[in-house]
Amino acid sequence: MCGTCGCSDPANDVKMVDPETGKETLIRQGGLLHDHDHHHGHDHGHEHGHAHSHDHHHPHEGDDKPHAHGPNGEIISLEQAVLSKNDSIAARNRGWFEGRGVLALNLVSSPGAGKTTLLERTIAEMAGERPIYVIEGDQMTTNDAERIRAAGARAIQINTGAGCHLEADMIADAVATLDPEPGALLLIENVGNLVCPSMFDLGEHMKVAVISTTEGEDKPLKYPHMFRAAGLVIINKIDLAPHVDFDEDLCRRNIAEVNGTARILSLSARTSEGMDNWLGFLDGAVVGRR
Amino acid sequence: MHELGLSRNIVSIVSENAGDRPVARVRVAIGPLACVETRALQFCWDIVTEDTSLSGATLEIVEADADTFLIKEFEFGEIA
Repeated sequence: MCGTCGCSDPANDVKMVDPETGKETLIRQGGLLHDHDHHHGHDHGHEHGHAHSHDHHHPHEGDDKPHAHGPNGEIISLEQAVLSKNDSIAARNRGWFEGRGVLALNLVSSPGAGKTTLLERTIAEMAGERPIYVIEGDQMTTNDAERIRAAGARAIQINTGAGCHLEADMIADAVATLDPEPGALLLIENVGNLVCPSMFDLGEHMKVAVISTTEGEDKPLKYPHMFRAAGLVIINKIDLAPHVDFDEDLCRRNIAEVNGTARILSLSARTSEGMDNWLGFLDGAVVGRR
Repeated sequence: MHELGLSRNIVSIVSENAGDRPVARVRVAIGPLACVETRALQFCWDIVTEDTSLSGATLEIVEADADTFLIKEFEFGEIA
């Protein structure tokens, strides 16, 4: 079960670190049921209150939910998405980004595909053109946020502890601290993981999947959910392709097999080869309804 | 992979709607593209529902389309 990745471990604290000030903020507290309570008080104040009033009038009136009687008792029809809380916060994030004209991209890949290097290179090449803000997701350490800060962009590190992906409320907290200016680029580097991040909408304009030539051409077939969720796939470390017998055409065919509409770009964040296409994509991306 | 967290979401949503009344059964619809491992969801259900109004409730899973992942309904237990 969760022993596979350790996510949702009972001792799961999520904290946010601002590398500029060194300030640490606990945004979710661990403990199986404790976390539950904390989470509600923390960012669902309204829903919490609502649940209470619900408790008081619901039992015998049952006037606000369709219901029937089953073998045990009253059946209440919910038809509610399990991830509806995350989705509603994501929708709020998305509206905020659209209102400010902030282009938010959610970068997903396996660990080591080169997301941080791609961000560093992007920041260097776009210097002075457009403000860039970065949210870094990792289980532990502020290494990546420090790298981004050294590259010249404002960054916030989110440490998910045992968690294996970023969720919309973490982005809402980080954005409140970052306060990106209108027209900015917000690059969200998700936790390196090709499984869970595909399920969680953060309110981004688009998911950008990064695959590197050292991972093999069949990654898109092995992790189809992630590649299906992406609007753009970047094949990174293309400079290494000849050394690792990477067949780019085959990789592109595999991506197209799971996702016929995704755009595909090949580049090397290390040598800058192909970076123009990515920068062109960023320039041309229009913030608005998907 | 993260079914423990997902089942906590289910318990949280149902508890909010059920108040303090005991719940006997929860029915969840899961599609093949939802990335949810139903056996893992069942596996952690007892642990997650312990000490809640859903304690002892059964988790019923029905097949659905595409990436559906919905709580269809829940049933209250009989009040003794």
